[in-house]
This record gives sequence, C-alpha cells and structure tokens, in this order.
Amino acid sequence: MHDLVLGQFFPGDSIIHRLDPRAKLILLLIFIVMTFAANSVSAFIILLAAAVVSAALTRIPPSVFIRGMKPLLFLLIFTTVINVFMTGGEVPLFEFGIIHIYKEGIINAVTVTVRIVLLVLGSGIFLTYTTSPISLTDGLETLLSPLSKIHLPVHEFSMMMTIALRFIPTLVEETDKIMNAQKARGADFSSGGLIKRAKALLPVIIPLFVSAFKRAEELATAMECRCYRGGEGRGRLHVLRYRARDAVFLTVGASLLAAVIAINILYPIYRL
Amino acid sequence: MDAIRLENVTYTYGAGTPFEKRAVDGVTLGFEKGMLSGIMGHTGSGKSTLVSMLNGLCRPDSGRVLLGGEDIWADKKKLRSVRFRVGLVMQYPEYQLFDETVRADISFGPRNMGLEKGEIAERVSEAARFAGIGEELLDKSPFELSGGQKRRVAVAGVMAMRPEVLVLDEPAAGLDPAGRESILNGIREYCRATGATVIIVSHSMEDMAVYCDRIAVLAEGKLCMYGTREEIFAERQTLAGLGLGVPMITDIAYELRALGIELGGDIYTVEGVASSIRKLLAR
Repeated sequence: MHDLVLGQFFPGDSIIHRLDPRAKLILLLIFIVMTFAANSVSAFIILLAAAVVSAALTRIPPSVFIRGMKPLLFLLIFTTVINVFMTGGEVPLFEFGIIHIYKEGIINAVTVTVRIVLLVLGSGIFLTYTTSPISLTDGLETLLSPLSKIHLPVHEFSMMMTIALRFIPTLVEETDKIMNAQKARGADFSSGGLIKRAKALLPVIIPLFVSAFKRAEELATAMECRCYRGGEGRGRLHVLRYRARDAVFLTVGASLLAAVIAINILYPIYRL
Repeated sequence: MDAIRLENVTYTYGAGTPFEKRAVDGVTLGFEKGMLSGIMGHTGSGKSTLVSMLNGLCRPDSGRVLLGGEDIWADKKKLRSVRFRVGLVMQYPEYQLFDETVRADISFGPRNMGLEKGEIAERVSEAARFAGIGEELLDKSPFELSGGQKRRVAVAGVMAMRPEVLVLDEPAAGLDPAGRESILNGIREYCRATGATVIIVSHSMEDMAVYCDRIAVLAEGKLCMYGTREEIFAERQTLAGLGLGVPMITDIAYELRALGIELGGDIYTVEGVASSIRKLLAR
C-alpha cells in the first residue's frame, strides 16, 4: 500500500519546489510539447539534458526517480517489443523465418521508450514530486479561471479535485486499517480463486463505504457551518504570485522549445 | 514461561524517505501467562506498532516474536493460525463491523477458523456475555448501534475466537465512565475465566492502576519500565518526565504524605485510598 511512489509528493525546499504551481504546469506543458516535437538526436539530447538538470535542481535523490520508473518497466518492454517486430521498412537488418527486423523498427522503439521515460520524468520533476496536491489544484484553478467566463464551474471542479486528492491518503490509510482489523480476525485476502478473493474483500469494502459516506456528510456539514457556498466572490488564503525565478524558468523553457522546433526545421539531416 | 515474548524487536516506518521514523527500537518484553498486563506511553511512543507485532500484522525489521516459545515468523503459512491464537482488537475497532447482524459479525472470526455451527453459536453467546452485549442486540444490524455498543461488538468479535493471548489497543478510549468500566470489567472477566493472557494498551493511569497486574512503559519506541503497578507508580518523577504521571488519586496520596498524613496500603485506586482515609478518620 505504501509503495505508491509514482505520483507522490516529496517535500523539499529546492528552487523547483518553490516555483509557482502555474509556472510548473506551463513548464510541464512545454516539456510535453517538446517531447513530442523532438524528432532528431540533437533535440533529444537537449531534452534529456534539461530533464537531468531540472531533476538535479529538485535535490530529490535520483533513487526516488528510478523507483518511480519501475512500474513502467512492463510498458516499456511491451512497446519496445511491439515496435521492433511490427514496424515495417525497406531493407531488413535481420531475418529469421517470419521475423523481420528493420532499422526503422529499432529507431521507433528507442524514440518511443525515450519519450515515455521523459514524460514520466518530466511530470515527476515539475508536478508530482515537487508540488503539493493542494498548490497544484490552486494553480490549476487559477490557470483555468478564464473558463468561468463561459460558465464552466471551474472553482467547484477544483474544489472537488482538492477534496478527492486530500482524501486519497486518508482512504488508503483506512483501507489498510480495516484490512488489518479483518486479518486479525482471520480474513484471508491472498488465496483462492477470483470469486473467493472478491468475496473476501466484502468485509473491507462495506466498512470503507460506510465511513466514506459518513465522512463526506461530516465534511459537507462542516463546510456549510463555515458558510461555504461555491466560487462566487471567494477570496483565497494563499494568493499565487509570479516571481523572478518563475520568469527565468519559463524563459528557459520557451527558448528550449524554440530551439527544438528550430532544429526540426533547420537541420532535417539529423532527423531520425 | 512467557505466553508471548518480544525479543529485541525494531521497526522503522518509511525507511529511506524523508518521513523515516523509528517506531519501535530494540524492545524486549515478555508477558506472563494468565496475567493482565498494561502497556502505556505517550502518543507516538510506539504502542500501537508494538501490539501489531504480537499477531504478525507488522513484521519487525529485526528481532523475534515468540508465541509459546516459537517464532511466529518461522513458518509464514502458520501466520493465520497465530492470528487466531493472538486476538488483536485495534484502536477504535467500531469501523471494522460489516455484517448484516451483530451475531453474524461476531461469528466472522470463528467462521474463518472453520468451526462447526454449534461451536460457533456457543462461542458467539459466550463472547457476547463477556463483552456485555444483551441477547436483544444480537439480531440487530451493527450499524444501528451506538458507538459504545459497536465497540463491544468489535471486542466480542475477537473474544469469540477464544484467543490464548488477547491484545486490546485502547479498548476504552472515547467511552463514557460507565462504558469504560463495564468494558474493562468484561475484559478482566475474560482473563480470569479463560486463563488467557491479556494485554491492554491505554494512557489512562487510572485504568492501569485498577486493572493491570503488570505495566510496561514505552517512550520513543523504547521500553522504559516494566513491573507491578507499585513499582511503576513509585517512579512519579520519571513518569512525569515522560508526560505520563500517576493516577490522580495517587497524586493526592503523595500530597497528603507531604503534609505528614501517611496513608497505608493501596494508594493507586480510589477505593483503596478512600478506605484508608476512612480508617484514619475513625481513629
């Protein structure tokens, strides 16, 4: 239960941690666009360098990032195999029976793998590891707030997300507790067939639902007691403010994006 | 011989992350058969982690847990039978209730043990009696009950397995005085009637003084003291340093002593002090 490293906030005080959440969301967006735009060796080198430098700036031990990659291993192997064997081309590099391996297949496999790794690394660096869920939704709400002009319930949406994020750890903890309580009474969650296992989970799911509903009701009451009534005219406790460091990071991000696009246009020779 | 014994056990939460915390640190502690022992300590002293080691819910990073002299982790397949022999009632156990009726919920443990119907029914009514659950409640839904009644059902659910070691983490927390007394009396009765070893975690000095034969004191994951209530509560200064203190009535007895009024006998329970004051006044 506690090994859910992928997507877990890692508290710290590095410059990346202190960036404005809106800036980090924009940086991640830039990073994602760059990852998909890149199609030459030099562009990928720029991206990798940017990722490594930012990862170092977070001052989070590299082992954490590596551990976060582990759940991806299966996906990476799967896509690599599919790409290597299924991509067609002109001249096969290797032939054996029905197996044909082309240069294009290997190139595809490498690009896709690097892209997936970069995407996960990037979202870890700019968001999940360095931004607390609360400031993340704050940032998201402010970024999306223009949409409330066309009557989209942006505030309600972000409040919903905040509450959901806030209660994930609570629910995980509670599931753990209830499972332990039932294990103490001899419940067995790990043996038997699918149906038996599903049935064995009933003593966990029922109390979990009961307490989740109870908690939702209590939370709603507590919010009403403090006169909460949605987004209209609400101020906020933490007002987000862009600072010099945000400007620096955004400028660097934008220039790298420009560089990648320029490389794509100017040097098609290096194209993969 | 000790019914259950912890040997130099250690447990660390979140090793290798910024949340790393050593919850239990080299504790060696044995609980004698048939005794009602208490574990006390400040919030975060490692009490709950320690008790969840007793039935193998939590595996110590190092050290051994011996049940009847055998290491419970020696054969992982036997772990489930260890949980039937060491019954654990967790903190605020009300949340674990799930079945349609109180009777069915109490019988969850015995059913998991694979007992016959007759045996199960017998155990359920026995456990309900110890926990003080009236016959009329047995066919109700556990979700209709009051908080105190739910607590009793949860305790009965573990007692119904007739564990030879019964461990209760804060069984009386959050109950009214009458509820506290009745649930703790039921636990003591279970201990005396079945000869089981009972371990209660609590931070109520009063409950410890009234019910426990032996008391262990934990602080910051380490065992500070272990002994009879006389031995423990004589260390008034040490306990105060740990943020624990002695029963209020014992404080009163010490204050009287400072004024030159010597109370003999039991200075740990209200009854004891009341009777010695009565004796003094009669003289």
